[in-house]
Amino acid sequence: MKRPVAVVGVGQTQHAARRADVSIPGLVREAVDRALLDAGLEHKDIDAVIIGKAPDMLEGVCHPEQFLAGAVGAHLKPLLRVHTAGSVGASTALTAVTHVASGLYDRVLTIAFEKQSEGNAMWALSPNMPFTPPLVAGAGGFFAPYCRAYITRTGCPPHIGPLTAVNARANAARNPYAHLREPITLDDVMNSPMLWDPIRYLETCPSSDGAIAMVVASEEAAKKGPRQPAWVKSGFSYAEAMWVPGRDQVSPLAGRVCAKAVYDRAGITDPWKQIDTAEIYVPFAWFEAMWLENLGFCDVGEGWKIIERGEQKLGAHLPINPSGGVLASNPIGASGMLRLGEAALQVMGRAGEHQVEAAKTALGHAYGGGAQYFAMWIVSSEK
Amino acid sequence: MPQLRNVAIVGFAQLPIVARDEHRIATDMLYPVVRQALADCGVERDAIDYQVAGSTDYMDGRPFGFVSALDATGSWPPRQDLHLEMDAAFCAYYAWVRMQAGDCDTALVVGHGKSSEGDPNRILNLQLDPYYQAAIGLDPISTGALQASAYMARTGVTDRDLATIAARNRTAGARNPDNQLHQAATPEELMRSPWAVEPLRAAYLPPLGESATCLILAAEGKAEKMCDRPVWIHGTDHRAEMQALGGRDLSRSAGAALAARRAYSMAGLSAATDADVAELTALTPAEELILAEALGLDPSGSRPVINPSGGPICGHPIMMTGGIRLGEAFRQLSGRAGARQVAGAKRAIAHASQGHCLQQNLVWVLGSERRWT
Repeated sequence: MKRPVAVVGVGQTQHAARRADVSIPGLVREAVDRALLDAGLEHKDIDAVIIGKAPDMLEGVCHPEQFLAGAVGAHLKPLLRVHTAGSVGASTALTAVTHVASGLYDRVLTIAFEKQSEGNAMWALSPNMPFTPPLVAGAGGFFAPYCRAYITRTGCPPHIGPLTAVNARANAARNPYAHLREPITLDDVMNSPMLWDPIRYLETCPSSDGAIAMVVASEEAAKKGPRQPAWVKSGFSYAEAMWVPGRDQVSPLAGRVCAKAVYDRAGITDPWKQIDTAEIYVPFAWFEAMWLENLGFCDVGEGWKIIERGEQKLGAHLPINPSGGVLASNPIGASGMLRLGEAALQVMGRAGEHQVEAAKTALGHAYGGGAQYFAMWIVSSEK
Repeated sequence: MPQLRNVAIVGFAQLPIVARDEHRIATDMLYPVVRQALADCGVERDAIDYQVAGSTDYMDGRPFGFVSALDATGSWPPRQDLHLEMDAAFCAYYAWVRMQAGDCDTALVVGHGKSSEGDPNRILNLQLDPYYQAAIGLDPISTGALQASAYMARTGVTDRDLATIAARNRTAGARNPDNQLHQAATPEELMRSPWAVEPLRAAYLPPLGESATCLILAAEGKAEKMCDRPVWIHGTDHRAEMQALGGRDLSRSAGAALAARRAYSMAGLSAATDADVAELTALTPAEELILAEALGLDPSGSRPVINPSGGPICGHPIMMTGGIRLGEAFRQLSGRAGARQVAGAKRAIAHASQGHCLQQNLVWVLGSERRWT
């Protein structure tokens, strides 16, 4: 990066199964207005707008950023639309970061949203590939074999997914924006219906309406803001091809390469010791253990042990998803940016009831496609 | 303005535009153009730092069409990557921004998608405001007709004027083997075609087509090694407008005008008429006139020569049409334009647009010499 970049404002919506009180622009504006207010800025201060969301079929609007251009204040400004499947919220924020780092733009508004109640996510996420029978099982049906492969490979006991789900809900109870805030017990999860073996109902993310917006800015612009920013120490996005013989879907190489890139650029040699909290993309509970390994927080085969020991809980060694994460709120296109935005709030010391004490360095992470797209950033309270 | 790097287009490949490629899926169509563009640059995939793909899910009739493109772009080992739900020209813009940030020196920019998988006019209806405008059945032809009417009412331009522009494009386009339409035409012939939506006749409009494209960009230092005549980016800017058709003056393109002003300023281009070639994403003859006004071009198309390729009227693969304009500018300035070569072309303007009635506009100024020393 040619020059430092900071997060100077974060705003998100109340996430819910159906936000019948707002239109698509109304939902997006709720996040945008909050982000601008947070940054102490107005639309006239914004140089460019970068929008991301998952497949357009989710709402049935093709290129919705065009119809939203007026509502998000993009009239006569540069407007780009990102789509990298589930990782899109994160890659959208990183695209905004690059714009500021280039020196061409000083303050960029970046937005990610999904209003899933407008359509049917299960259908919209069931791609019909040429010459391949459609699975018509949504993302859960697609990813269940990956989770089963992890369990088989590591000998991970059956309560690890449920423990993850319980912890996510316990954290979400402290997050006023989360969609699912009711605490659940281990028995609740174990007794919930099996949807796609080994993924149970309560180990699955909800389908949410929600949006998040952030303002990223140059150092000079950040210094004029009303509060301490979060500094972007590094950000990368990597993708890998689908049809590679021997591709490891459980611990994809793109994830490992991307993590190494963000750690190297941020000067992190031991993520377990140097990272204070992480917001990682866990749409199905088993992925938390899988990503702990993929992200290098522990050795291969050891991820589930972190969860069994409870070291990922709030107040423990490495709080994972203190916001409740994707298991508590999943407006798909926004979920990745929510991870990055929550990581920024942590190092700004502004995460409220789910604040990790003295968090200085945080990881935000998202993945998408058939576990092929990865986008991450490291944010810090220090430049 | 910050200190900018010299970045060049060093390679471009496209499939000839066809109404429907019966035998290949989008991924299969993309693979040969990626291979050809890399081969033309004399490099393998590992020499490229970054890739950006442009496509739209709806055109493929499925979510995540771009995921399959990873197979065609050689995404193993894993690559630094982004996908924009936009025309390939906007993807090239982001690759350029990334080079300005110092985050990469070389980039692969692809456009792909099979518009024959669905009905593009019905799909593009879904771009409109779902609450107030999509439901009345507007498609790009009817919104283009509203725009043409607004322009004709303001300027007094006639049906014959539109036919003259369409005929100039068609006649130029007969010299471009990558075009879908190869037949030269006279204004009189075109004026005999029926109204698509008045005042636009069927023969004034692009046929629906599909293709695959690949651009390669490289920063100074690498560019010279990959191309005998790199085409340097002198300036670029893009601007969106609000969508609401009743909320903007359809007879003008304020976004294109602002983007052009900023791109020319970055490029040090004092007048658009100093450029030799202009390739415009004009989907109707009226759009060409609106763009000529916004970009400060002579609407006769003499200097700069407008759309020596034949323009979108001779081939419009959705999500690639803007990228092809950039590719055509590269071909002109690097002496690769064959029978449609504008002699001695040294500077070119390339324009891409997206959305109904020129909602989003991107302007490039390119030159055969480096911009900054």
